[in-house]
Amino acid sequence: MITLSNFLLIGAGLFCIGIYIILSKRNAIQILIGIELIINSAILNLVAFGKYDKVNNAGQAFALFGIVLAAAAVAVALAIILNVYRQYKTIDPSKVEKLKG
Amino acid sequence: MEAAIPYTTNENIALLALLAVLLPLVAGIGNALFLPKQSKLSAWVSTIAILISLALAVDVFARVWSQHTASIHLQYLWFTIGQTQIVAGVWLNNLSVLMLLLVCIIALPVHIYSMAYMKGDERYTRYFAYLSLFCFAMLGLVIVDNLILVYLFWELVGFASYLLIGFWFTRDKAVQANKKAFIMNRIGDVGLMIAIGIIYAMFHTFDLDLLFGRGNLAAQSHIQSGLWTTIGHYTINALGVPIASSSAGQLPAYCYYIMCAGIILAVAAKSAQFPLHTWLPDAMEGPTSVSALIHAATMVAAGIFLLGRVYPMFTPDVLTIIAAIGCFTAFMAATIALTQNDLKRILAYSTISQLGFMVMGMGVGAYSSSLFHLATHAFFKCLLFLSAGVIIHEMSHLKHKHHLDIDPQSILHMGGLRKLMPVTFITCSIAALALIGFPLTSGYLSKDGILIQAFEWSQDKSWAYIIIPIGALLTSLLTTFYIARLIFKVFFGQSRLRHIDANIEPEAHEGDWRLSVPMVMLAACSLFPLFSFNPLEYKHAWLVNGLGGVLDLESSYHILVPVVINGVGLLVIYLAYAVYVKQNVHWLKQKGLLFNLSFNQWYIDTFYNGVIVKLVLFIGKVLYWFDQHILDGFVNALAAIGIALSKVSAWFDRYIIDGILHLITDIVKQAGNFIRGFQTGRVQNYLFTMLFIILVVYVLKTFI
Repeated sequence: MITLSNFLLIGAGLFCIGIYIILSKRNAIQILIGIELIINSAILNLVAFGKYDKVNNAGQAFALFGIVLAAAAVAVALAIILNVYRQYKTIDPSKVEKLKG
Repeated sequence: MEAAIPYTTNENIALLALLAVLLPLVAGIGNALFLPKQSKLSAWVSTIAILISLALAVDVFARVWSQHTASIHLQYLWFTIGQTQIVAGVWLNNLSVLMLLLVCIIALPVHIYSMAYMKGDERYTRYFAYLSLFCFAMLGLVIVDNLILVYLFWELVGFASYLLIGFWFTRDKAVQANKKAFIMNRIGDVGLMIAIGIIYAMFHTFDLDLLFGRGNLAAQSHIQSGLWTTIGHYTINALGVPIASSSAGQLPAYCYYIMCAGIILAVAAKSAQFPLHTWLPDAMEGPTSVSALIHAATMVAAGIFLLGRVYPMFTPDVLTIIAAIGCFTAFMAATIALTQNDLKRILAYSTISQLGFMVMGMGVGAYSSSLFHLATHAFFKCLLFLSAGVIIHEMSHLKHKHHLDIDPQSILHMGGLRKLMPVTFITCSIAALALIGFPLTSGYLSKDGILIQAFEWSQDKSWAYIIIPIGALLTSLLTTFYIARLIFKVFFGQSRLRHIDANIEPEAHEGDWRLSVPMVMLAACSLFPLFSFNPLEYKHAWLVNGLGGVLDLESSYHILVPVVINGVGLLVIYLAYAVYVKQNVHWLKQKGLLFNLSFNQWYIDTFYNGVIVKLVLFIGKVLYWFDQHILDGFVNALAAIGIALSKVSAWFDRYIIDGILHLITDIVKQAGNFIRGFQTGRVQNYLFTMLFIILVVYVLKTFI
């Protein structure tokens, strides 16, 4: 029987992996992947908690919104990464220290 | 008699007198400011100014003198201090108009003489400016009406004299001499100032007319049981009537004696009386024409004039002291004059001696005779100096011509000038005879007057008083000898220049008319007709009568004194002739105690230099040392303490105050540096920090 805490444990594991990737990777694309992991852990939590909601499938609907938002965020982030690359010829965030263009 | 002159006329006369005084001042200022250094015009400006002054003085004299007892007093309010009103004005009485006239008459020939005498001097204009300044001061002194103005002009004549003594200031001796004259005169000035102060404290007025003239306060004061009392203070209204304005005054008696001592000191300094006489011989460093005017005829007479002004103040005791001072000075100076070799120095000591005569005359109560002698002496002594000037001029001319190394003023090198300079010889002889007091000269009238009155004065007193007239008589004979010595050495015999170089043909000639005319003029004034139609009786002289006359005592002295003076005098002249011309008397040796005493001027100068000057210098050095070591030390110590304190406070400032500030800034800086470390600009760092802080907060929340 799969209980709520299993979901939450997996969500927490995904979150921690995401954090770790964000903090440790030297590649903006990988960091983006970390961010996606964190978002997905949040979406997993939404779906898991949705079972206890009075309204049917509200959690799933919220998750769909989250997925759309994540996709939009990825699109924007990739655009930024492309521009950063154009500017600095690198996508290592530790080397991008200046906000001035 | 006063009503005889209308009031308005009085004012006019006073203004005329004032004009006579101011003209030389204007001339002097004009010369000093507007003319170039060597302008012939300056002499004419000064001379014409004094000529006009003379004309005015004659006019004033004629109008005031003829009124006999009249005195003209014109005054204006000068300034006010508190309740005290100080007035300035002109007071003309017989004494002042006589002096006014006398100064002008003497000054005129001296001006003319100076034109030639100072010719070619590089400060010709300045000389005449000074001379005019002196005339202004002297004329002002005689006509002013209060003691403050008297003091002012008294100082001014001293200052003018100082300028003229040091006229050739490139000569060290002249500088020393004028310094000496100035300092000696300062001593007297202090005396005069003290006296004026005491007079004011006593009478509450400076007005001479009130004190000694119509107000007659001084004569009405008296000394009783240690107190000096006066009956009251007066003012004079427009009609010349004294009105009592305040109550009687009183001072301790010693104030009176201090006042008298102050006046005597002032007189002694200005008129070169013992012990302040030593400046006058040194003052001969000035131009001879100046010596003639200032140091023989006028300025030195200022002391006598002052005595005359304040005469009613003196009690018989004080007068006796004055007489003793005068007599001693006269005798001492005459003995010194016997052995001096410098022509002008002999005359200077002669002047001191004659001034001593006048002071003595004042002391013995021969008031009018004394002033009479002042007038006659002014003429013949001025003439002697002018003659000396001509002689010295010729001697220095010879000196330069023959390249001799001689002192042109030394009578040792003169001789035989009688035939070369006849006019000088005759005028000089007339002056010498007047000095001796030979009949038919003016000197006879005035000198005998003083001597006879001195004898009459001592007659009814104790025997000790006879010393004064006897001393005067002796002085008179000494005078005869030294002036005869001078005449014989200078004019008779052979020129002693031949002793130096046998080839010298001494040639001398009279100077131009500007030198001889003044001399002839003064020679005429040295004879009796100017003063009295009776050449043998001084009582008939108009001048004596105008000044109050003399007591008509019938005594044998009237015949005895002139006979002794002239009888013995002739013998003395013959003795001098024998010693200096025929040279057949050899018992007058130039050695011995008395000769040295006389030759070294009684060692008074030596004493002053050796004791007083040294003492003053020593005190000066002590004070200097005190200043250097004690006062400066104190001041330096204060400064050192100040520096030490400031160093401490500077250290405190630098290390404590600044240290705190630096500490604060350092803390801020370190904190800034520490915090700056977080701002790396790396997103991951920020994120990590954020997580770390959240973690810390979580841990803290959970476990504590």
